[in-house]
Amino acid sequence: MWKFSLRRILIMIPQLFVLSVLLFVLAKMMPGDALSGMIDPNVDPERIEELRNQLGFYDPWHVQYASWVGDLLKGDLGTSFRFKMPVTELMGQRIVNSFWLSLATLILTYLIAIPLGITSGRFNDTLRDQLITGYSYVGFATPLFIFALVMLWLFGFHLQWFPTSGSVAPGSVPGTFEYVMSKLYHLLLPALSMALISTYSTIQYLRNEIVDTKQKDFILMARSKGASESRVYNRHIFRNSLLPIAAFFGYEITLLIGGSIFIENIFGYPGMGQLLLESISQRDYSVVVGTTLLFGIASILGALLSDIILSIIDPRIRIK
Amino acid sequence: MEANSANVELQSKTVTKTPSGFSVVWREIVRDKLALLSLIFLVGISAFVYGTAIVLDQEEIVKVDLFAIYEAPGEEYILGTDYGGRDIFGQLIIGTRNSLSIAILVTVMTGFIGVVFGLVAGFFGGHIDNIMMRVLDFFNVLPFMMIVIVFVAIVPKYSVWTFSLIMTAFLWMGIARLIRSRALQEKELDYIHAAKTLGTSNIKIIFKHVLPNISSLVIVTMTLNLAANIGLESGLSFLGFGFPESTPSLGTLLSYATNPQTLEYRWWIWVPASVMILLLMLAVNNVGTALRRATDARQRRG
Amino acid sequence: MGFLKVEDLKVHFPIKGGIFGRTVDHVKAVDGVSFSLEKGKTYGLVGESGSGKSTTGRAIIGLNHITGGNVFFEDKEITGVRKAKSDIRKDIQMIFQDPYSSLNPKKRVLDIVAEPLRNFENLSRKEERVRVQELLELVGLSPESILKYPHEFSGGQRQRIGVARAVALKPKLIIADEPVSALDVSVQAQVLNFMNEIQKELDLTYMFISHDLGVIKHMCDQIGIMYKGRFVEEGTATEIFENPQHIYTKRLVAAIPDIDPRKREEMKKFRAEVNTEYEQAYNDYFNEEGLAYSLKPISETHLVALPEKG
Repeated sequence: MWKFSLRRILIMIPQLFVLSVLLFVLAKMMPGDALSGMIDPNVDPERIEELRNQLGFYDPWHVQYASWVGDLLKGDLGTSFRFKMPVTELMGQRIVNSFWLSLATLILTYLIAIPLGITSGRFNDTLRDQLITGYSYVGFATPLFIFALVMLWLFGFHLQWFPTSGSVAPGSVPGTFEYVMSKLYHLLLPALSMALISTYSTIQYLRNEIVDTKQKDFILMARSKGASESRVYNRHIFRNSLLPIAAFFGYEITLLIGGSIFIENIFGYPGMGQLLLESISQRDYSVVVGTTLLFGIASILGALLSDIILSIIDPRIRIK
Repeated sequence: MEANSANVELQSKTVTKTPSGFSVVWREIVRDKLALLSLIFLVGISAFVYGTAIVLDQEEIVKVDLFAIYEAPGEEYILGTDYGGRDIFGQLIIGTRNSLSIAILVTVMTGFIGVVFGLVAGFFGGHIDNIMMRVLDFFNVLPFMMIVIVFVAIVPKYSVWTFSLIMTAFLWMGIARLIRSRALQEKELDYIHAAKTLGTSNIKIIFKHVLPNISSLVIVTMTLNLAANIGLESGLSFLGFGFPESTPSLGTLLSYATNPQTLEYRWWIWVPASVMILLLMLAVNNVGTALRRATDARQRRG
Repeated sequence: MGFLKVEDLKVHFPIKGGIFGRTVDHVKAVDGVSFSLEKGKTYGLVGESGSGKSTTGRAIIGLNHITGGNVFFEDKEITGVRKAKSDIRKDIQMIFQDPYSSLNPKKRVLDIVAEPLRNFENLSRKEERVRVQELLELVGLSPESILKYPHEFSGGQRQRIGVARAVALKPKLIIADEPVSALDVSVQAQVLNFMNEIQKELDLTYMFISHDLGVIKHMCDQIGIMYKGRFVEEGTATEIFENPQHIYTKRLVAAIPDIDPRKREEMKKFRAEVNTEYEQAYNDYFNEEGLAYSLKPISETHLVALPEKG
């Protein structure tokens, strides 16, 4: 296990390196530079040139890259010209929101998918199974943004059960019970919208796994020993099938990021996804680079985590 | 020798003909009523949108008409108008055509890259495979939506072509991985070894021996990818990072719904496009799963 | 001057391990094997599964990477030739074990048999068709079947198609890797007899790889017995079957089933004897790693892997 983990981490290093190069190139391609936003247009162009020289704007690219990475490692992602504050500080507020949204989505997804998957697998090819499979299939084929729009329209505007934007009721005082409840209340509809249609893979995985395991010799053995049906399922089948699900969540991070861009946009939820879209439309490029970098690192780490957990659970994949 | 050939004839009579690939697929689709319906729907809708789009004047439809803003569906406009007084029905037709076209284009391009990449990595194996898979892993780990949005935002001279190239650049990995693992299995079979000993070059073996044998996998995967790509394109257009503004797509119509007023009171602008996307994706998926069943004998229904 | 000469052939497969996936050890599939084939004869390579007999055949024709040693064909070195269009590809051909996986299921018989012709000879469509039909007739299949697909044939017929493909370029040597072991016993004899016929007709040399001593006895003039990647004994068919010297060979020969029921008890006793001898003498015939020693001649054609001390 240690060997695999170490090897897997070593693979990650070039990934991080390539990501940083990609972002550096992107940053260089983006129109304008740190100065065009910061400086009063009345300043003499010659002075700007001088400043650019000082900041290393005309250095060879590898020197620029080195200093850029150096800044990153120090946690300096530059300054947002729109908010006039360091990018790290700006992201700090949004990350917390996005984190809770993602967590709520994951929990809801599993809460919905695991019981359904188990039912579907245990009673395969019955009406129940067909209904569940049908639901998860339609969910799989439905684009998130359409479903989210319908949810917002139905529960937000039409029935008015849920708030239609924001992450907390205006005027709530942080730290109070109402504040926390209001946060949860704002989370629920976006998280549910995403969770309801992301159950396909978990349900199908569980279903196939259980249908397969049901016929395996050790289950037949347990049955023939006289173990009750529920004991067979609880002690033998679920234990084998549920562990990998826990491991997949690292891979889900990539999906969550993609989803959060839509969800946060539609529900006006101030998280990282919305920040990315806003800063692109406002041409606040240092923020764009910052959020992209963070998303990229999160995905790479998520995959790493899942790979390692899976290798512990299932030794077969280590040989890969 | 005579006894031999008599025996041979006897044997060839007892061997039953297995049905050809096409008839298996056709039977599977016909047997699955939903898939058949989906196929008919797809053929019908494509014929309709590509047919009428020739007649329809796109310039005319996207022209702003300030006297007809937000008209509800009625006699003059079957599906009403948007904030610029533009006919929703016409935009729906052109949007469907555009969305379909780009989804097909991206599917074909990703399919091409994925198949070649997967075949080469799987067939040669070893170090080549190792390096290629590391590259693939890297692309795979990037969050697709985010990276595409960023690229779309900064690419100079943005057009439909650059849009599909950007999408392609980050969507070829899934099919490549599938093809690679099949190619890895396939190249261990003796007919590949035989081809090598017969003096057939590697390139020829890859494209004339391996490829035909995994073609069903390619077709199934590409069909399912097409469904996903319709969703991805409309999603990106919805966020404003898809088609350029002058070109309506199904996602563009939906993006009007980000305005709460439109979402709540002017359903005719966004509901038809949503339904269209949903139906297209479901239909393509249905056909895709029927195809998958047809190629996998264990799952076949008929 | 041999026809095909193999000198100290080694094929090692790396075992990857460790953090960087470096090679940590090797599986020595073939570990120092030398032999030579005479033109027009059949050489049999026998051994249990995993003894390296198939690997040897595949290494000669270039399907496996050769770690060490040399292969000469008609006095030309052909070790590790992997280029697609070389003369060896024309002169050495192979027949594969599995008649199902060795024919591309998506190709018609015409395309399968014509593949080598298309690689090496520039024939017109019509000439090609005629040649393929001739070849099919040669292997006893109806010339009309050129437009059929492999799945329309039985296992024995498929193996005939494989042979037609292998002889299309008029090769000199054919390596037959367990050509009948996937077939029904009734069909086995058919295919073997027909391979014998073709050998005479086309003046072929066979290298016949099999685990079935009965088949080998039927086909081969010279026999080499492999165990764990090395030869334990080599000699003419008579020498091997009538006068086996190595304990491993003795045991193999003793295991050949006898169809005469009256001899059953006798055979049983004989086998038990050989088995006891095998167990007792194992340490004398194999070194500490359980591998065979190097071959020593006991007559002009008979070589046995006996220990150094004699």
